[in-house]
Amino acid sequence: MKKTKKITALVLAVMMAGSLGACGGSGSPSEKGGGSGPSGEGTHLNFSCYNYSNSMDPITNVNSSWCFLRYGIGECLFRFDENVVVEEALCDSYETEDYTTWILHIRDGVQFSNGNQLTPSVVKESLERVYQAETDGTGNSTPSQYVTFSSIEANDEAGTVTLVCDNQTVNLPGILAYPWYGIVDTSVIDSEVIGTGPYAVTAVAENSTVDLEKNTYYWDGEVPYDTITLYLTEDSSTKAMALKSGDVDLVENITTASDLEELKEDPAYYVSTTAGVRLGNSYFNFKGALGNDALRQAILYAIDDETMCDVTVGGMYTPGCSVLPSSLSYGYDQLTDTYAYNLDKAVEVLDEAGIVDTDGDGYRELEGENINLNYIAYSSRNLDEFAQAVSITLESIGIGCTVTVQDYDTALANQSAGSFDLITSNAIVVPTGDPAGFLGNFYSKNSATYGYYANAEYDELYEQLLAETDPDQQQELIVELQQILIDDGATLVHGYYNSTFASRAETVTGADITPMDYYWITTKIRPAR
Amino acid sequence: MRKIKTFIKKNPAFTVFFILAVLLVGTAVFAPLLAPYDPYEAVLADAVQPPSSEHWFGTDRMGRDLFSRVIYGSRTSLAAALSLVGIIVAAGTFLGIIAGYFGGILDAVIMRISDMMISFPGMVLAIAVAGILGASIGNAVIAIAIVSWTKYARLARSLVLKIYHQDYIAAARVTGSKTFHILCKYMLLNALPTILITGATDIGSMMLEIAGLSFLGFGAQPPAAEWGYMLNEGRAYITAAPWLMIFPGLAIFITVVIFNLLGDSLRDVLDPRDE
Repeated sequence: MKKTKKITALVLAVMMAGSLGACGGSGSPSEKGGGSGPSGEGTHLNFSCYNYSNSMDPITNVNSSWCFLRYGIGECLFRFDENVVVEEALCDSYETEDYTTWILHIRDGVQFSNGNQLTPSVVKESLERVYQAETDGTGNSTPSQYVTFSSIEANDEAGTVTLVCDNQTVNLPGILAYPWYGIVDTSVIDSEVIGTGPYAVTAVAENSTVDLEKNTYYWDGEVPYDTITLYLTEDSSTKAMALKSGDVDLVENITTASDLEELKEDPAYYVSTTAGVRLGNSYFNFKGALGNDALRQAILYAIDDETMCDVTVGGMYTPGCSVLPSSLSYGYDQLTDTYAYNLDKAVEVLDEAGIVDTDGDGYRELEGENINLNYIAYSSRNLDEFAQAVSITLESIGIGCTVTVQDYDTALANQSAGSFDLITSNAIVVPTGDPAGFLGNFYSKNSATYGYYANAEYDELYEQLLAETDPDQQQELIVELQQILIDDGATLVHGYYNSTFASRAETVTGADITPMDYYWITTKIRPAR
Repeated sequence: MRKIKTFIKKNPAFTVFFILAVLLVGTAVFAPLLAPYDPYEAVLADAVQPPSSEHWFGTDRMGRDLFSRVIYGSRTSLAAALSLVGIIVAAGTFLGIIAGYFGGILDAVIMRISDMMISFPGMVLAIAVAGILGASIGNAVIAIAIVSWTKYARLARSLVLKIYHQDYIAAARVTGSKTFHILCKYMLLNALPTILITGATDIGSMMLEIAGLSFLGFGAQPPAAEWGYMLNEGRAYITAAPWLMIFPGLAIFITVVIFNLLGDSLRDVLDPRDE
């Protein structure tokens, strides 16, 4: 009996040890190898990135369409280069006479990753599908936001697709480079999402991993990796630690300044940073205390955006005064920062405007009441840190300010309802390579969601911009519009977000981030050895 | 004086931890005198400075003096933990005593609600409550109170049931004592030592729960000087600037240890079984 008990105990102990061992060993990225495939054959890349969507179908929503491009699965008819200039991709040439009818020639010999041919008919069906999904509500992507077509015709013999826009659309190539317009193989779309990108999806573990393999039919040069595993990681520090431990070879957008600083200083890692196309700003609500010009001007004078960008968020942003990033060619050099940092001037403006502390409680009053600004922030891309730094600065000059950090959806709901005095934002200002859409946030007919800014002169120039087809005239108007926004103190610009890629120098090369962050995995990223 | 000396000789552990607890409370009360800087005064350019003679614990990411914030943090953390324990002890004991004494439907209702509360994982329910009420230290206290009172209710009820059928309770009833008098004079007084010991031991764990909620973003909000929230702020800098986590973490650790040991030694002092 005793012997049986002993044997049973031994067996149980061995089983426990075995199961614990299995727990520890499963799914460790390092064991899957960095540089060679899971089975030890071929080249393999482990890439850690934030999970924006479990879907990769362009019709699902904005994030899924971005994943379609970012994971290297699909492509659009056009794409943006590293200078945010549109270039041909699946469309190799185009012609238009009136900016309404566009004839696009589809590149010959392009195949989807399943071997199917890319034909003008498939392009037509793919474009029609994304509009259809918007119309019947099967998808949340809204392609009609940028352009609508009265007809889409395909000519397989000539290799062309003819698009007739409802309105004159000067920037159609830029619009078609937006991820919503990614081209999918419509013949198999009901079962899988197949594109023409350098890689194809082989397995998806929701919120955990995405496995990719080489598209052997890829048209645009050699595909360097046989397989790629994407590790979907929410936390920035976790991504940095995974890179340091060698679990992954490449990570995108480490948003913790301290981690990024460490990686930059260590030669074992290559950190690619680019002043991207994202503006970090806070919208003022003009239907509240911030409708007061002097108060807004004082706030703008008080904010030391250079220190905030360089120190508070550790260089994650490049400081600037305009809504359009200084790295883009929209005449930043021609602009004047009317309210450059000057704390004394801020106090002077408030005193002159009679916004003073009469009851000695430390807070200035506006129309007899203490100022207490309701500042809503969400903790994405360091925005909550900006809000706190702004709040602390404003408190120091007697402007009460309460920061509430909310999740993105709640903050967005408050923004739409106008329930804020200041609200943070981080947005791409040239989603289609053209800033007109973003500048429209300050057009009085659109500005209700962005704090009710209104200026008749701005509206007039904006309408001119929409009708203008001459690039030089457009440029002039864009510069004028930016200067009006600066002079009016229309928004509090924090800076321009710097996108980053960090890679292990000994295993990966060519991992450079592009300003347009629609592209993560490209054929330029390849094994170092 | 002699009595005090005797008490100290008899209960040296309690005396030591009591003095330490008083020192902690004193730190919170006299924070303005102890802190060298205003805990909310920020010099943005001096962010994340390592500990130095100027800033003993370094500075945080907004350039605020961390030592001053840790000192002021004792105010928020202690006040929140003590008020939380006060609320759950009072509410739980009251409900437990009336449930045990009156029995019947009242007992069934109170105890079934208590069972429902216990059937949920406490922290998850607290996160849900704090999520609904909105993030603030006050709401965090309410959220944890909602899930924590049940322990005291069950304890008080069982203590009441233990003496309910004793002869002296029956005698009190027979001699015409009013119900309120019986509840206060016999039931409450009988339950009080055990409740107080449990309450004192709970101060540490409640402080941890509040810090936990603040760490998760459901408690204290910026720019509050609260230890849990300070840990959250420092989390991103754990490798580059570990002092941002070490000092608030140490403050929580020391305080929790002191209150836990104080609770233990209080049990030694009050536990009637030892006499």
